[in-house]
Amino acid sequence: MRLWIYIVRRAALLIPVIVGVMTITFVLVSALPLQQRLVSYYGPNPKVPYNPEVSCQKLGIDKPGNCRNPFYYNGLHALGLDRPIFVQWGIYIFNSLTFNWGFVGNGTGAAGQIPLAAGHPVIQVLGWFLPYTLELAALSLIIILAVALPLGNLSAVNRNRPIDQAARVMSFSGYALPQFLLGTLLLMGVVLLIVGTLGHSIYCPGSPGNSPYFDFSGSWPPSNCFPSGQFPSWLQKGQISSPTGFPTIDAMIHGQWILAGDTLLRIIIPALVVAFGTIAVLLRFVRNSMLEVLNLDFVRTARAKGVAEATVVRKHAGRNSLNVTITILGLTFAAFIGGFPVIESVFNLNGVGRLLAYSVTLTPYDFGLIFGSTILFTFLVVAANIIVDVLYAYLDPRVRLG
Amino acid sequence: MIGLGILIFFVAVYGFAFFYPASATQLQTYQASNGLPPSSSSIFPEICTYTVGSPAPLPTGCYPTPPGFPSVIGPTPALSPLGLGPLPMGSLTISAGGIQFYDIFNGLIKGTDWSLTIAFGVVASGALIGVAVGMVSGYFGGVVDESIMRLTDIFLSIPGLLLVIIVLAVFAPEITSIDTRVALIIGAFVVIWWPTYARVVRGQVLVIREQRYVEAARAAGAHSGRIIRKHIMPNSIYPVFVQMSLDVGSVPLLIAAIVFIGFQIFPNQNFPEWGTIAAYSVSFNVVQSFITACQTASTCTIPWWQFFFPGLALFLFAISVNFFADGLRDALDPRLRR
Repeated sequence: MRLWIYIVRRAALLIPVIVGVMTITFVLVSALPLQQRLVSYYGPNPKVPYNPEVSCQKLGIDKPGNCRNPFYYNGLHALGLDRPIFVQWGIYIFNSLTFNWGFVGNGTGAAGQIPLAAGHPVIQVLGWFLPYTLELAALSLIIILAVALPLGNLSAVNRNRPIDQAARVMSFSGYALPQFLLGTLLLMGVVLLIVGTLGHSIYCPGSPGNSPYFDFSGSWPPSNCFPSGQFPSWLQKGQISSPTGFPTIDAMIHGQWILAGDTLLRIIIPALVVAFGTIAVLLRFVRNSMLEVLNLDFVRTARAKGVAEATVVRKHAGRNSLNVTITILGLTFAAFIGGFPVIESVFNLNGVGRLLAYSVTLTPYDFGLIFGSTILFTFLVVAANIIVDVLYAYLDPRVRLG
Repeated sequence: MIGLGILIFFVAVYGFAFFYPASATQLQTYQASNGLPPSSSSIFPEICTYTVGSPAPLPTGCYPTPPGFPSVIGPTPALSPLGLGPLPMGSLTISAGGIQFYDIFNGLIKGTDWSLTIAFGVVASGALIGVAVGMVSGYFGGVVDESIMRLTDIFLSIPGLLLVIIVLAVFAPEITSIDTRVALIIGAFVVIWWPTYARVVRGQVLVIREQRYVEAARAAGAHSGRIIRKHIMPNSIYPVFVQMSLDVGSVPLLIAAIVFIGFQIFPNQNFPEWGTIAAYSVSFNVVQSFITACQTASTCTIPWWQFFFPGLALFLFAISVNFFADGLRDALDPRLRR
């Protein structure tokens, strides 16, 4: 079987998963009161609220008493809420698949903290925040691969030696240490070390107006760099264009290398914290699989014919641990993504997770954003699964051929 | 290994009694000098919230105990012989609605009840559902197996944190009773937890059902229910126990994460649950306030005890059940013992 046929087949298998996830969110959406559903879908309508009956004057009709609210009934009909449940389901699935995820409210919820987002389509707001999350995810994936693979192999080779025990302790701590606690400790460590010694943080160098990305006042905490809950100021001020939306890449495109380094420094500690938990899971699997492989016949053959031990570990046995890493990464990716709301809250990064945190912090909750970011995160997980499958098939021909 | 796990668990649960630094007189002196109302006659103050300057303890802040659950702690622990350190070790400043004092020690002790109730409730119900589904899926195979596995795929692709948040955000606002709300929290966690058990059990059953003794039982005329009950269940259940003991530790961690991002999972901020206490004490506002203080003042104290002790409780609990799970795995599966 050719690789692309395999890819298409795997991708087709994931369509039921996506539809299933949307069905779950549909069930939950259906439990909401009607008006809340209408607000989260059509956005806030301050002039004429979504009541079935409003005063006729509000509708611009010079008639005493109450009138039927066209916004309410039209919206109801467009969502299929006056039709059988499976029609509602179909409309919901169609809307979700076409990224028609409703509008951000303008109440005291998320939009209260992110004024610029109020009334915008959910998908657009998520699009503003997604690049930050993706950069963080990419960096922490790099860290995971760079740490878990060599350390797992090392602890398998030096089984029950101090380095193996150290890796075991690290693995246990990664399971048990809450991310927000580790993040806060590191944050405070950064404050104490860098603010205390240099007088300013690496996260906020320079004087106000120094960077087109952030309003710097030269001090910690990051709320001074990110005015709390606001967009990066380039979006508001239009100081520089953002062709891709990814802050680091944009800075590189503009040739601002210091700025690119600054944005990378900003996410390197959060990336370490996110990576820590996944590394803990991976270490065990990599170590155990490596131990198994090291006892197999082909490794003994390689040793017998005089291949250097380092080469045996790296080339003959090590390839296997790459497969294991990718498999486990695919399995833990949902948990990995689930860590982002926490870590982006700790470091006040403007990612999708932070957006989700904003939308559930204050009541009334912004259900458009909550459901939108959930579906977005699910898309990320599903996409990661496809990538994992493809990588796995690429690395292990038995998968696609057999 | 099991012994070590149990030891650490008890240290986690009971240890705080020995580290509590303040005595009753210290407490009263502190309360008097800070304009706080005196607490009741017991050695430790009532678990209530005090607002600075308010004439009396807020009655709404008092902690409830879970009903029908025997208190893990028993009577109020005796005073520590190590009466070290200043009193503020025990208090937590919560920034919402003014400065408040909150007895971390007592919160942690009470929190043991709630944390363990929720954790064991989630794991037990999740395992019950997961084992039943996984047995059916693995034993009958075919279309049943395929559809159940696709269903678990669906649940496993949603990040668990988000699904719990959504379920609670949709259903919880109307619930005021604490018991009902805790039941809902447990239910929300079970929704994300059962697929893991179903997967684990199914994998085991797939192996077990091909064994000779199952074939022999079938040849002897045993019906499916009997084969599952008598032959497959006893042989495929041990990874579930291991997984359960691992998960008991991660439920409080997940609750802490949800509370940390600002979602009000319990009706009040000072609800006695380990994750809640730990999360509020490191919430952005608190950290921000003392970091700002440290920048402006020449000398400053970082109130490390605010998050250190709740975090320690979470960490020790999680790591102890990890050790326990490891030991359990070795004890139940002799093949893995090396």
